[in-house]
Amino acid sequence: MSDTPMTRRDWLLSDQPASRNQARLGQFYRTWLAFRSNTLAMVGLVIIGVLVLTAILAPLIAPYDPLIGGDLRTERLLSPSLSHLMGTDEQARDIFSRLVWGSQITLVVVALVAVIATPLGILVGTVAGYFGGWVDTVLMRVTDIFLAFPRLVLALAFVAALGPGIQNAIIAIAITSWPPYARLARAETLTIRESDFINAARLQGASSARIIWGHVVPLCTSSIIIRVTLDMAGIILTAAGLGFLGLGAQPPQPEWGAMIASGRRFLIDQWWVATMPGLAIFVVSLGFNFLGDGLRDVLDPKGDR
Amino acid sequence: MSDTLLSVENLRVTYPTRKGPAEVVRGVSFTLGRERLAIVGESGSGKSQTGRAILGLTPKPGIVTADKLSFDGIDLRGAKPRQWRALRGARMSMVMQDPKFSLNPVMTVGAQIMEALAFHGRSSRAEKRDRALAMLEAVQIRDPKRVFDAYPHEISGGMGQRVMIAMMLVAEPDLMIADEPTSALDVTVQVEVLRILDQLVSEKGMGLVFISHDLRLVSTFCDRVLVMYAGRVVEELKASELHRAQHPYTRGLISCLPEIDTDVRPLPTLDRDASWAL
Amino acid sequence: MGLLDVINLDVIFGEAPQQVHAVKGVSFSVREGESYGIVGESGSGKSTVLRAICGLAPVSGGAIELGGREVVSPRGRDFYKTVQMVFQDPYASLHPRHTIDRVLAEPLAIQGFDNREERIERALSDVGLGPGFRFRFPHQLSGGQRQRVAVARALILEPKVLLLDEPTSALDASIQAEVLNLLDRLRAERGLTYVMVSHDLAVVAHMCDRLLVMQHGRAVEELTRDALRARTATTDYTRQLLAASEGYKPAEPK
Repeated sequence: MSDTPMTRRDWLLSDQPASRNQARLGQFYRTWLAFRSNTLAMVGLVIIGVLVLTAILAPLIAPYDPLIGGDLRTERLLSPSLSHLMGTDEQARDIFSRLVWGSQITLVVVALVAVIATPLGILVGTVAGYFGGWVDTVLMRVTDIFLAFPRLVLALAFVAALGPGIQNAIIAIAITSWPPYARLARAETLTIRESDFINAARLQGASSARIIWGHVVPLCTSSIIIRVTLDMAGIILTAAGLGFLGLGAQPPQPEWGAMIASGRRFLIDQWWVATMPGLAIFVVSLGFNFLGDGLRDVLDPKGDR
Repeated sequence: MSDTLLSVENLRVTYPTRKGPAEVVRGVSFTLGRERLAIVGESGSGKSQTGRAILGLTPKPGIVTADKLSFDGIDLRGAKPRQWRALRGARMSMVMQDPKFSLNPVMTVGAQIMEALAFHGRSSRAEKRDRALAMLEAVQIRDPKRVFDAYPHEISGGMGQRVMIAMMLVAEPDLMIADEPTSALDVTVQVEVLRILDQLVSEKGMGLVFISHDLRLVSTFCDRVLVMYAGRVVEELKASELHRAQHPYTRGLISCLPEIDTDVRPLPTLDRDASWAL
Repeated sequence: MGLLDVINLDVIFGEAPQQVHAVKGVSFSVREGESYGIVGESGSGKSTVLRAICGLAPVSGGAIELGGREVVSPRGRDFYKTVQMVFQDPYASLHPRHTIDRVLAEPLAIQGFDNREERIERALSDVGLGPGFRFRFPHQLSGGQRQRVAVARALILEPKVLLLDEPTSALDASIQAEVLNLLDRLRAERGLTYVMVSHDLAVVAHMCDRLLVMQHGRAVEELTRDALRARTATTDYTRQLLAASEGYKPAEPK
């Protein structure tokens, strides 16, 4: 462009990108700049980042084994100290180590629910919204049926039928969490469906599948991502709730909800046993909420210029 | 045009952006008597921002500064919300481009017009109703009683625009700022709306600021024309003398319009000179 | 018989109780290489006629013939190689998340054209946009530039007929002149046939050889450009439109 050397930032923010990739990266960088200026969103991102790192590096971070405790005579229910940062539980296991390993379970729950529920919701919603008519009626009535099940009750029924365990809990949560995304995607699709750029695509002879996948879905995803992120806190709480009821992860797995359940017997005298996993759930839920709010500010198409 | 209703000196509107403050109105000055003044320009020229700034309606985070901004002797700079409430609606009002977004969808037309009278003296409900009905009739609505009780979605766009105008005029303001009041209307309705505005200026002595992009309309409807470009007034002239415009921008704007009777091909286009924006 | 014939066209939207009869028995014929205008106010059904031609609105009665053969619904893929459309609002007709490159590449991919790189570059230069625009997003373009992209997108499939739905009404006057000149030039270069809809008589008079005036879904009258200039309009409505296009006249004293 000029004889002064271009910095990477200039290259990314260029008004005249010279290639597909530069355009895409530039767009991404602009979104990142907007996101970065949002303090709360950054706090959320840092919390989630720490969660992911903790889960990956659990074997390195955790000082003790999460499942096998120490000496039951001398190391039960120790209060927080330098050797046990968050104390120990009734089986003389280090609570900090259990929390660190438990982050893996939390992350798996969150990731699997997102991977199952989000695409399902988007697919059902966009197809229903785009075609309208009887397709819409059938798909949305099915959605209503799923929406009518209370999440916890369905999960209970599922677990009762298939046996307790974290996989069944995840399936139960995923099955009950896609309908709101389908509704959202449908509403977005209805506003997009009649716009002129969709008409223009029709006039090029584009097939319905091409229009839905290439034109409608990209515009729906941002609001769905925001919604999923904001729902994550609820999903973590549901998973923890199932664990608390003894229907999610089974002992001795270090699932946060189950840890609270076992710690509640000692709540008065050994408060840390139940409080530490409670704090972990609280912080991670808060992180997802901050992140979701930040994403809303950045991705909301109404804010686009 | 002796008595000055509105006087504006060095009006500036600034918006903070990521790349530093952006000035969208850069030192606009004019005075308005009881006349029809047009502000003409293309999108982004700052014409609408000028109109909004006068009424204190600059959206956040915009900042308005001026050496002088006075309406009938009242200094509008730094006016308190209470002062604005007393002025807006009662003494100065604004008609926007699209009536659909300016009428409250859950209130009947009549209730909205009567609300415009709320700050206007202590007249009884029946009196207010009579005035509202009379105003609807004045804006050429054939069945004022039906429209009075209708909700905005029950009336057509052209009628909505006339209702808006009725609402703005019922309090008989001294100053009216009309931002493209007719561009959403069909030509036949457009003529009626212009006629009402015309009457108010010539019979009631209202001052009208008519913001428009349509030079042809402005040249036949208004008394004076301010031509804005990039936030500045580049030329001010009598509407009847528009064809004698000096500034190349004004001349370009006039000549690039296609005409029914002449066949200029290709149409002259505007070569924007960087010096115009200085 | 012309290249494009609209015969007694009816367009009805919706079901019985809330039916809207948007177009009522409109007929006209457009010859190859001609530029034909449709003028009317909002709600006159002028845009609906265009949408019915390209299949975006239902043909409830009558017929549309292209080259003497009736077009069927739904339109085949080949129909769109012959007929393309430019929409009114350039801010709404480009996908906000697609680069210009993608906007232009997609029709080529759908219709299976070869030499895509070359065609995209030529399409951009044909509408007066340099290669620097190719990888931009619509929000990085002005209204006039967007409308140029929309014209490029319509012409990249090398159609014979271009339907223009108020192509300049969302643009500033100076930009309107540029786009009209562009459309004029492209028609002369490629022998295109235009059907142009507008509410602005002056624009249609400038662009079109013949024009149809519509009101409330019906055709009011058909005029040539010369007849319009000679003010030989036969209906009151056309005369009203003509008067309004000349600006405001103070009321005559009653």
